[in-house]
Formats: sequence, structure tokens, C-alpha cells
Amino acid sequence: MSGFKLFQRVSRAPTNPRAVPAATREFDVASLYEGPLSTGDEGDAAALPLDEKLRQAYFWIVNNAVISPHYDIEYNEGAAATFAVGDSRRTLTLPSAQSYSSFILLPLLTFATRRKCLFVGGPGRGKTASAILMGVLAGYPVKEVRRAMQHGHPQMTLADLLGNPLPADLASAQSMDDIRIAWRSWLGMRVKIIDEYNRIPTRTQSALLTVMGDNYAEMLNHVYECPESAWYLTANDDQGGGTYQVIEALRDRIDVIVQALSFNPRFLDELLLRVESGVRPEEMMPPEIIFSAEDIDAAGKQILAVSVPEALRRRLEFFSSQFELMETAGSQFEYMTKDTARLSGEDWHQFTAADNGRDRLKDLGCQTRNGLSVRNLMTLLVFAKAMAWFRGNAEVELEDLRQILPFVLHDKLQPDPDAPFFALPEHAAFRSDRLGWLRHLFDLSNAEYDRLDLDRDDPVGELSAQFAAGLDGLDEREVRKRLSKIEHLVEQRAAGRKLYGPLYDDLLKLKYLHQRYTNYLNWLRASR
Amino acid sequence: MTISAALASSLAAGRSRLNARVAETRRRHPGFDAQVYADFVASAVDGLVQAVEAVAPERVHAAAISACELALELVAQNLVGPAARQPWMDRLWRELAPRHARLLAAQPQAVLGALGNAVIQLGQWPQVRVDAWLDGMAALADEVQDPAQLRVLGQLLAWRAGMAHYRRGALAAADALPAKLALQALGAGAEADWPALRAALLADPWHGADDLPATGVQIGAFSGFGGQFAQPPQLRVGDDDFLVRSADRHFLLLGDRYGAVLLPASADEFAAASTREVSAPEARGDALGWPQGSIRAFANVHTLALASPYTHAIALFPRG
Repeated sequence: MSGFKLFQRVSRAPTNPRAVPAATREFDVASLYEGPLSTGDEGDAAALPLDEKLRQAYFWIVNNAVISPHYDIEYNEGAAATFAVGDSRRTLTLPSAQSYSSFILLPLLTFATRRKCLFVGGPGRGKTASAILMGVLAGYPVKEVRRAMQHGHPQMTLADLLGNPLPADLASAQSMDDIRIAWRSWLGMRVKIIDEYNRIPTRTQSALLTVMGDNYAEMLNHVYECPESAWYLTANDDQGGGTYQVIEALRDRIDVIVQALSFNPRFLDELLLRVESGVRPEEMMPPEIIFSAEDIDAAGKQILAVSVPEALRRRLEFFSSQFELMETAGSQFEYMTKDTARLSGEDWHQFTAADNGRDRLKDLGCQTRNGLSVRNLMTLLVFAKAMAWFRGNAEVELEDLRQILPFVLHDKLQPDPDAPFFALPEHAAFRSDRLGWLRHLFDLSNAEYDRLDLDRDDPVGELSAQFAAGLDGLDEREVRKRLSKIEHLVEQRAAGRKLYGPLYDDLLKLKYLHQRYTNYLNWLRASR
Repeated sequence: MTISAALASSLAAGRSRLNARVAETRRRHPGFDAQVYADFVASAVDGLVQAVEAVAPERVHAAAISACELALELVAQNLVGPAARQPWMDRLWRELAPRHARLLAAQPQAVLGALGNAVIQLGQWPQVRVDAWLDGMAALADEVQDPAQLRVLGQLLAWRAGMAHYRRGALAAADALPAKLALQALGAGAEADWPALRAALLADPWHGADDLPATGVQIGAFSGFGGQFAQPPQLRVGDDDFLVRSADRHFLLLGDRYGAVLLPASADEFAAASTREVSAPEARGDALGWPQGSIRAFANVHTLALASPYTHAIALFPRG
């Protein structure tokens, strides 16, 4: 007789139902017996597509583990009902399509892509509990996950974090090679949890950085290679309020940041039931949604196979072009960047004060103190693909990118609070709401992209495509023609006098193309 | 309300387990009505237990516990009792399930779960005749030898009850039934040849539709009255089906001699379908009572579909 497992049930209906194209429709008569009632012979979930399995995990967590999910990742199909609320007239949207809670979805996408996720938020908001759920999702017993969790504290040593040399070996060893290390078990796990990482002393943070960044641990000349894993870190305050300042390189290794939002007291009845029944969701996770190492490998491959359409890639290029330019920081064209300003150690305000030629309200680049790194863009692309995959799509949509971008760039794109943009009363909330600001920034970038009609009129893109087609067989006449076209385009672009981020990157790209054609031309002449 | 000694004995033996389940269900479903549950156990579950006791007394306890646990889910989800979302689950437990006492005794959870899920599935299709399905399953109960046959019979009768999209699958599955049972399920005489009938039904969805009403098989109604269409539907022709658009929604329409179903489809599928119309037979229009000049007719290989801007219904007929 099968057990009665109310809390261990997962959705038997498709979690993301869609109309199936007529050509591929198969009407399975077995579906007659699918429904809410257990027949005791429920099929093996291993046959489920992995994206469906992850969606089932998401909905199991939403329905059983998290009491008051906030649907802050909004998708719409057609018009959504919106309401202006309060004196500030903030918009409340009732999404018309399946929407998600970032606090659950982002950790799951981190799990599937084996990246690094930081939970931030006040104490008692479920950060650690959510991280433990991810460990259980990877098939580890709850006790093992709890024991393997590293709790940051001011006295945490390298030995606490990584392991100890065996005392007997220490006494008798003739060389370092003779000393065996008792590595801590968490290093070998596929889900790693660091609780309150901003309470770890700086020296121990450096060792943690090696494990996080390079996936190995080192002690006394011995190296432990860790498996690919998903990381979950928690911090009560990500803005430097921990016991120790988190080293910048460690912060930079974190891929996404999710905020644990407040508990809605309207759900107090469910909380009371949870208290009275002593139910611990992490102990009741249904086996159907547990992912094996092979499942995660396969999910990662499927995610990377999701395509990013060229039109979408161009929008991301345009967005990331906005931020690096700092015209006053360099005398040579290539060095007019915020990175040059930062490396110089000069006062930031001196650079911004000297930058008086542009519309600092309109220029999106003026809102930030830095630009985007290659790592940021790679992470953004991976999570956008993961988001599309989770939604059952083979191609990333603009909305996937728009929804995921703030969580990836949360700690990466630093706002300049002295920028004129933040001085406007209607933008005051963006000073504290980093996610809202980043999404707004992306929206502004897209609006500018549309205004410039870059989907249809992008001469630099056309020249790039022409170059990407290859140089084989090009004669001198054609190369000269192209060089002339590039020079003409540079002249045309430079005529406007005002320099903005996308224009700066376009000019650098034209310079690159010009140099490649010039080299090819020289080669053509030399080979005659 | 008194209960049988067999049920009382099983409840006593499984007391702690069932009490724990009830407490768990209460936590999970705050609206769980314990009185409805008690009434259902005392009536429907007791009837089942007595039926099982009559054929396999040694299996009473297992059947009773399974039935009580499934009944918890039914009550929690408002599928039985005075406020039930569907009227058929009560009938299933009180009339149909006791007819399958032997199967219940062997595999109580599998049989009750499968039959219950089938009723829930069928009840979600407004045009499907669930009562006819229950009648058919009850009428042939004595012929069913095992749970596998029961499942196939249910599929075949689901098609007969109006699940047009099950036609091919149900006919394929029906090969696993004794020919006599398959023929009975389709209302054919014992002298009929099952392979021939099966082939004919696969080849022509309207085979044997001599007793079809003059108004054909109709589907669709105004959404304001609980139907599927917000506006009178527009039709297009697919290979074995039709594509339908009403306001901003699109459907795939499948029909045969036993009924028709509307399934979700996309705007792209509708756009790709053929717009070719045929002439509307006058007699059909007269029977339907639709204004003659307004009727638009579309046809695929086997089926003629009629629509009109003056109605939210679509009428299907065999072509020919």
C-alpha cells in the first residue's frame, strides 16, 4: 500500500502548458488516467524533460516550501492590468502570463548552470533555508547539507574552511609531499553553501576566492580539485555591513544576487500551520525532482544550446556600450574609459566635473561609475539562456534578458549617486532600488535603440557582417573601396562632435575593421 | 449513520494512520470539511467495502484504507459532497466502483485512482457525455477481467462519450481487449468482425453514423453562457481537422460520429490553414435553422463543417 504524501506531490500537469503545433500533436489516450488522484504506479520522473523537471521543482518550492512568494519576474502575453498606487503612483502589475519569484527562480537557474548566487536580506527571511533546499535538490540528505554548510565567523581559519594536515604526518614528514591533508567534505559537494560570507576574515576570504574562482583548494603544496558546483552565499547586508569587508575579487565572482523580500503577514495562517505541524519542507522534497549529477550536466548543455538571436545580441551590445566611455579620463582614444579613471586613483568628481559637453541626463553612461566586464556579459548571456530554457523556449527573448539583467548586474554596475539622473524627484527610488534602476536603464537603452532604428539602419553592423564573411578572394580594388567606406563612415559619425558610449564603441570597431583591411591590403601588395 | 462491521473493523485497525492523514489534510487544505468526509466514508466507502467483502474478505482492510485515503483527497479538492465541483465522482464511487469489486480487491488504489482521474478528465470537456461513460463502464463490468482491460475499456468508451481526439489511440489500444468486449464497447453485434470494424473506424471517423441527428454534431457556444467562443467562430481547413478563430483565441476542431472537441491552437496554425470554402448543402442549413445566405461551409476529406456569423455553434456532418 503506497504512502500518503501530501507534501511530496509534484505537478502532474505540464507546468508551462502551450498549444502544441498540429503537425506534432499526439493524442495519448493514457492521459485519460492522469489526474490528482494517486494510482500508486506514478511513472518515473526521469523520463521528464529536464526543463519540465526544474519547473516542477520551482512549483514544488513555491507551493510547499516558501509561504509568501513575490512574483517580481513578470511576463505578459497581451495586455496586463496595471494600477497606479499611492502618492508616488507606483505601478502594480497583474501579469497576464506565467510569472516567477526571483527568490526561488534565480537560485534554481544557478543550480542548473552551476554558477554562484548570493542571497541578501535581513535575518530570518529564508536565505539559508533556500540554500539548503538547493543542496537537497542535488540529492544530498538534509543532514549532510547542513553539516557541509560553511558558517562565516570572525575566527574562521583556513583549516576551518579547507581542512587540516594530519597531525601524525606533521610530526613524521620529511617533505611536504608526505603530509596528508584531511580535506573538508564540503569541497567535494556539487552544491556549496557559505552562510554569512561577509563575516569571514579577509585572509580566509582569499582561500575561498581560489575555490570559488579556480575550483581547487590548496594547502601545504597539496591541491584538491573540486567538482563543478553551484554556490550559494548569504549575507545579511551586502553593502559592507558584515564583520569584514568582502574583497572585491570575491564579490566579482558572484554571478547573481537575489534579495529575500519581506514576509507578507496575510500569509500568517500558513506560517502558523507550519509551526504547529512541525513541517520542514527540506525534509519532504519529492524524489521526482531530485537532480543527479548527470541531470545537471545535461541541463547545462541544453541551456548552452539555447540560441541568442542576432537582433537581441545587438540590443545587448548597444546597452553595454553605454557605460565604459569617460571622455575626460584619457587623451588617447582607446583610454577614454572609466577604467582608466579608476586606475588613476584620481577623484571621481574631478572627471565628472570636467565632462561638461554632453547631455548628462540623457547619456545613460553618466549614471554609472564603471562599465561591464567580459565576465558580466558572459554571465548575463548564460542566465538569459537559462531563463529561456526554463520557460521551455529554444531561443532567448528580449523579455528574458530584461528580467534577468538586474539580478546579474546588481553588484556589477555601480550607480553614480551624484549623476543628474538620480537628482530628479521621480528617480529618487532608484537610489535604493538597484534592481528597478537596472531594469529602467535597460528599458531606456532599448528605447534609444528603437529611436535610432538600429534594427534596420546599422551601417557598422553591415560592415562587420561583410568583414565576417571573410577576406578570401578580395582584390585590392574591393579592399580600397571598403577602406574608403569605413573612413567615410568615421568622418560622418565624428561630425556630430558629442561622443556617447555606443558611438565610441562603433568608432573603435571601425578602427578595428580599418586595421584588418589595411593589414590585408599590405599583404596583398607584398605577395604580388 | 451506521457503517458495516467490515469498515468499522478496518477503521479501527487503521485508526492512527488515518487520523494522521486527516490531520495532514486539514493542514494542507484549510477548507477541508470533516463532516463531508465522514458522510462520504459512511456511505460511498462503506458500499465499496461491502462489495469487496462479498468477493474477497481477506482484502477488505487494504481496500478500505486505500478508499479512505483517496476519499480524503476527493473531499479536500471538493470533488465529492454537497459542494462538489462535478456531479459524477459520487456516482462513480456509489454505482460504478462496486461493480468492479474483484478488481478493487486486487488493486484498490490503482483502480479507484484511475477511474477517479478518468471522471475528472472527462468532466473537464463540456461536450463529453460523462454519464454515458459511467453507464457503459457499469454495463460491461462483468466482462472485464483485469485492471489493464478496465483501462482500455475506459479509453474506448471515452472516445464513444465524445473525446474525438482519442479515436486513433483508443482503437489501437482496443486490440488488447477480447474482440467480444471491444465489439460490445462500440455497440456492435457479437457477429461483427472486429478487425474489419476497427479498420473501417480508423479509415472513416463517420463510419456507421446512420443515426446521426439532422443537425449533425454541434460544438461551441457563447462564452457569456459558459461556451468557448467570445465571437461567432471563423473556420479554416486542416488535413484531418479544422482550425477555428474566435476573437483572439484559436482552436483545433476534431469531430466524428460520437462528438467533437476543441483543443488549443496557435494563430500561426490558423493562418497556415486553407481558407477554401465549399457550397453549403441547403438541407443541412434548413435542419439547423440558420439563415441560408449566412452559412459558410468548409470540408476536409471526411467532414463538412458549417458556421454562420449568426451563431456561436459549429455543426459537423459526414461529407458525402
